[in-house]
Amino acid sequence: MTAPTTQERVSHRVPLWRDVVVLKWVTQVVLLAVVLSAMWFLATQAGDNLRARNIVSTFDFLERPIDIQLSEGIDTKPDTGARALWTGMVNTLRMSIAGILFATLLGIVVGLARLSDNWLISRLASTWIETLRNIPLLVQIAFYFSVLTTLPRVGLGTGPINGWFHISNKGISMPRVFIADGFYQWLTVVGVGAVAAHYVRRHRQRIQDETGAMTSPILWGMGTVALFGVIGIFVHPVFSWLGVPLGAIADLLDSLPVIAPQILFSVIALGAAARWITRFLSAHRSARGHLSISDDDWFRIAFATLAALAVVVMLVRWTGFSSWTLNSGRDLFEVLENKFDVDGAARPFDAMRPDIIQKGKFPNYGKSGLTMSIGFAAVFFGVVFYTSAFIGENVRGGILAVPKGQSEAAMAVGLGRGQILRHVVLPQAVRIILPPTGNQYLNLLKNTSLAVAVGYSEIVQVGQTTFNQTGMTLPVVVIWMLFYLSCSLSISVVVNWFNVRMKLVER
Amino acid sequence: MSEFTGLGADLGMSTGTIPAVASPQTPKLPPREWVRANLFSSPFNSVLTVVSSLIILAITRGLLSFIFNPQRQWDATATNLRLLMTQAYPEEQYLRIWVSVAVILTLTGLSLAVWRAGSAVSIANVGRRLLSFGCTLALFALLAPFSARATIIWLLIAVAVAGGGGTLRRLADSERTISTLALVLIGLSGLVGSLWVVPYGNHTFELHRTPRVIAEPGTVALSTKFPWTIMLLIAVAAYFLGTYLRDRGSLNATRTTLALLWLLMPPVLLYLVLRDPDFDMGHVFGTDIPIFLACAVLGGALLNWLARPSTGEIGRIVAALVLIAAFATFLTPMRMIVRLDLLMLAAFALAAPTFSGGPRARRNYVIGWLGLLGVMSWLVTAVNTPSTIEVPGQFFLGGLSLTLMVAIFTIVISFPLGLALALARTSNMPIFRLLATWFIEFVRGVPMITILIFFSIMVPLFLPPGMHLSEVAAVIIGYSLFSAAYLAENVRGGLQSVTRGQHEAAEAVGMTTSQKTMFIVLPQALRVSIPPLVGHCIGVFKETSLLAIIGLFDVLYIARNVMPNQTEFMGSTKENILFVSLIYWLFCYQMSKASQRLEQRTGLGER
Repeated sequence: MTAPTTQERVSHRVPLWRDVVVLKWVTQVVLLAVVLSAMWFLATQAGDNLRARNIVSTFDFLERPIDIQLSEGIDTKPDTGARALWTGMVNTLRMSIAGILFATLLGIVVGLARLSDNWLISRLASTWIETLRNIPLLVQIAFYFSVLTTLPRVGLGTGPINGWFHISNKGISMPRVFIADGFYQWLTVVGVGAVAAHYVRRHRQRIQDETGAMTSPILWGMGTVALFGVIGIFVHPVFSWLGVPLGAIADLLDSLPVIAPQILFSVIALGAAARWITRFLSAHRSARGHLSISDDDWFRIAFATLAALAVVVMLVRWTGFSSWTLNSGRDLFEVLENKFDVDGAARPFDAMRPDIIQKGKFPNYGKSGLTMSIGFAAVFFGVVFYTSAFIGENVRGGILAVPKGQSEAAMAVGLGRGQILRHVVLPQAVRIILPPTGNQYLNLLKNTSLAVAVGYSEIVQVGQTTFNQTGMTLPVVVIWMLFYLSCSLSISVVVNWFNVRMKLVER
Repeated sequence: MSEFTGLGADLGMSTGTIPAVASPQTPKLPPREWVRANLFSSPFNSVLTVVSSLIILAITRGLLSFIFNPQRQWDATATNLRLLMTQAYPEEQYLRIWVSVAVILTLTGLSLAVWRAGSAVSIANVGRRLLSFGCTLALFALLAPFSARATIIWLLIAVAVAGGGGTLRRLADSERTISTLALVLIGLSGLVGSLWVVPYGNHTFELHRTPRVIAEPGTVALSTKFPWTIMLLIAVAAYFLGTYLRDRGSLNATRTTLALLWLLMPPVLLYLVLRDPDFDMGHVFGTDIPIFLACAVLGGALLNWLARPSTGEIGRIVAALVLIAAFATFLTPMRMIVRLDLLMLAAFALAAPTFSGGPRARRNYVIGWLGLLGVMSWLVTAVNTPSTIEVPGQFFLGGLSLTLMVAIFTIVISFPLGLALALARTSNMPIFRLLATWFIEFVRGVPMITILIFFSIMVPLFLPPGMHLSEVAAVIIGYSLFSAAYLAENVRGGLQSVTRGQHEAAEAVGMTTSQKTMFIVLPQALRVSIPPLVGHCIGVFKETSLLAIIGLFDVLYIARNVMPNQTEFMGSTKENILFVSLIYWLFCYQMSKASQRLEQRTGLGER
C-alpha cells in the first residue's frame, strides 16, 4: 500500500458525473440514441401503415410500363417510369441552365443600371428590383401564365404564319436555326480564322508592348474570327476537297494491324513516365547538382514506372482496346469524309420558320419552328426576372464594396471610365459578387420546381403524376431528393472552383 | 423556392457593406441644374434618358390600359374580398375576426409607443413628396384610357395634391418637423374616412341557396366601414395608453410584458378567439387542472431546490433521474400531457444550475416554469378540443388569414429550432455538429415544394394508429423544419461574428458553457443577425404562397382556382393574381423598409 501519486489524486478529484469530457460524450450518445430511436419508430410506423394499406414501396415502377402524357420534353409519351422521370429531369435541367444564363445577363444589366449616374435609369432599375423581389415567385409565375393563356388562340383564323415569330396561347414560336450540310466546311474556315486570329492578336500585343499604344489585341483577334466566319458563309465550298484526304486516313486506319496502336500507346505511356521522372529528378537537384531524394520520392518514381508498365501490359493483354481505337478512328474519319463530301451549294446553316399544323382535332405549332410552350415561358420569365432582381442587388453590392480609392487611383493614372470598370473595379467586385450569386443559382434550380403549378413537365410534376398513378410516393420523393441534392452539389462545386480561381488570379 | 438566405444576405449587404448613398450635406440643386446633372450630363446619358423615358411612358401606358380596360373584372376582387381574407369563415361569427384584428392593433399601438417608433421628418420634405406624387398622379391621369370626365376629375385631384404639397413646401420653414407616425395616422384616417364618403360601391356575394352577386352604388357596406373606424380608434387609443405607460410605469417591465403578449398572441387568437373551442368543463376540472396543479407544485418545489447553489452534485443526479423518468413514460401507457410535462420538467431541471442564484433568481426561474407549463397545458387542452366553427371539408381559416397564420406559426416554431441547430453546428461536440450539418445541408439542397408535398401526403403514414394531425398542422411542421435550417445559417453568421475575446472573458469569470452561451454569446449574435432574420421572415411569408400547390385554400389558391370558377367572374384570373401580388408586395416591401430603418437607427450592420 503506497500513497497515491499526485496524478492519481488529480484524476480522482473529479468524479465521473462532473467530468466535462464524459458529460459531453454521454449527452451526445444519448441524443444520437434519441434521434435514431425516433427515426426507427417512425420507420416502423410507416412500414406498418403501408402494409395495412397494401402498398409495397419498391423501385419496380421504374421498369414497369406507365401510362402518362407529358407536356413536353425528349419523350412526351414515355413507356416506363424511369423514362418519364428522366424526361422530367432533362426538362428541369433545361429550364435551370437557360434560367441561369439569362438571369445572370439580366442581373448584371440591372445591377449596373442601378448604379448609373442617370437618375431615370437607376430609378427604373430599383423599381424593377423592389417590385420583383417582394412578390412571391409562384404568384409571378401564375400571373405570367394567366396572361399567356389569354393570348389569341392558334390556328382559328390566324391562317398560315408569314412572320418569323408567332405568339399564341400555345406558346411562343420562333425560327429554328440548325446545322446544314455545309457546316463542317464552314467550321474549317473558322478554324483557319482562329489560327490567323492567334497571329493577329500576338502582332497587336507586340505593338502595344513596344509602343504603349492601346491596340486592343483581344478585340482584334475576335474580329478576325468573326471576319472569317462571315467570309466562310460564302467561300466554304473551297474546302470540299478535304473529303479526299480524310477518306485516305480512314482507309489507312482500316488497313493498319492491331499492333500499331499498341506500340503507339506504349511509347506514349513510357515516354510520359520517363519525362515525368526526369523532370522530377531535375526539380529535386540543388543548384550544385546535388540530388536529395527521400524514401517517399523513390516510391513516387517507382509508382510512375509501374503505372507506365501497367498500361503497356494492359495494352498487350486486352487487344480489344486497340482494335476499338482503330475502328472508332476509322468510323470517325469516314463520317467526316461524308460530311465534307457534299456539293458546293450546301449552306452551313439553315433556318425554318414556325408553322401551324393540324394533326388531330386542334391546330398546333409544327416541328419546324422552335416553340416555347406557355408553361415553359411562364416559369422561364418568372425565374429569370425574379433571380435577376437578386443578382442585380449582388452586382450592385459587389461593385460598391470595392474601395473608392481603387477607382480614384485608376483615374489618377489616366484610365477612362470603361477601362476602370473593366480592369480595376470588376475583377475585384467579382470576388464579392460570386458567392451570393452562386446561392442564387442554387435557388433558381430549386425554384424551377414551382413549374408544377403551371403544368410544365419537370421532375416534380412528373413525379407527382407518377405517384398518383402508381402509389409509389416514398420512392419518388427519394428520387426527387437525390436528384436535387446532386444538382445542388454540382452547382456548388462549379461555383467554388470559380471562387478559388478568382482568388488565385487576384493575389 | 427558397430565398431565405438570398434575401437575408442581400439585406445584410445592401445596408451592411454599402456606404449610405447620399450624405446629408449634399447641397440641393435648383431644378434645372439637377436635371442637367442627373439626366443630361453627357451625350450618352441624354440618349439613355430619352430612350428610357420613352420606355417608361410605354410601360406605364400599357399597365394603365391593362388595369383600366373595361374588360377587366375588378368586380371579382371587390365582391370576393371577404373570401380572399377569411375564406368561408361564417358571417355570424365575424365578430371573432374583428376582435383578433383589434388585439393585434392594440398590441401594435402599445409597442409603437413603448419602443418609441417613428422619427421626425420636416414638413417641407413632406410637401416635396406630395408635390412629386401629385405630378405622377397627373401623368397617370393623362396616360390612362379614361373618359374625358374621369380624366378631368383625376387631374383636379392631382393638381390639388400637388398644389397642397407645393404650398406646404413653400410655407413651412425647414425647422418645422412632424412625426412619421402622425403622417401614417393622417393617411389611415383619410383612408377610413373615405369609406364613409367616397362611393366605392357596395359589393356583396350572397351565398344563400343560389349564390348571386349584389353590386350597388354608394359607399361600402356598414359592416365594413363601421368596424374599420372602430379599429382605427382602438389603435390610436392604444398608442396613447402606450405613451402613458412608457412615461409612468417602469419601462423594462412594460417592454417584457409586451414581448410576452406578442408571443402569446398567435396561439390565444387562433385557439381561443378564432377557433372557439368547445371546452368539456368536466374534463378540464377533473383531469387537466389537477394534472397542471400537481406538476406546478411539485415541479416548482423541485426546481426551487435544484436552483439553490448549495444543492451541488446531488442536483445533477436528480435532474438526470427526472430525464430518465420522462423517457420511461413513453414506454408505458400514459397521458401525453404527463409525458410532455415531465420532459419539460427534465429540461428545466437540467438547466437549473445555469440559472441558480439567490431567492430572487430562483423565484424568477420557478415563475418561468409555471408560465411555460401553464401555456403548454392550456395549448394541449385547446388543441384537443373540437371547434364550434364548422367550415365544411376545410380548415376553418382560409385566404390571407391562413397565409398569415402559417407564416407566424412557422416563424415562432422555427426560431428556437433554428437557434438550437445553429448552436449545434458551431459546437465542439462532433455528433451534434454532424447531425446539425447533415440536416441543414440536406434541407437546403432540396426545394421547399418537395418537402411540402412529402409532409402533406406522408405525415399520416408516420403516425401511430389513432393519432391524427390535420393537413395544416403537418404543413406547418414541414415549413418550420425547412425554415429552421435557413434560420440556423443566418444565426450561425451572427455566432461567428462574436469575437474570441468574449468567449475567453466569459470563461475567465467562471461561467459554465451554457451560461456563456445564454448570457454572453447569444445576445450579441442575435443582435448582429437581426437584418438577415427580418429577410428570413420575408422569405417565409413569400414561401406561404406554395400552400396553393398542395391545394390548401390560401390567398393565391382562392385567386387562381376559386374565384375564376364563379359563374359571374369567369376568367378573372389575371385581375385576382394582380391583387394578390399587391397584398404580398405591400407586406414584404414594408417589412424590408422597416428593417432598413431599424438598421439605420440602431447602427446595426455598421459593424
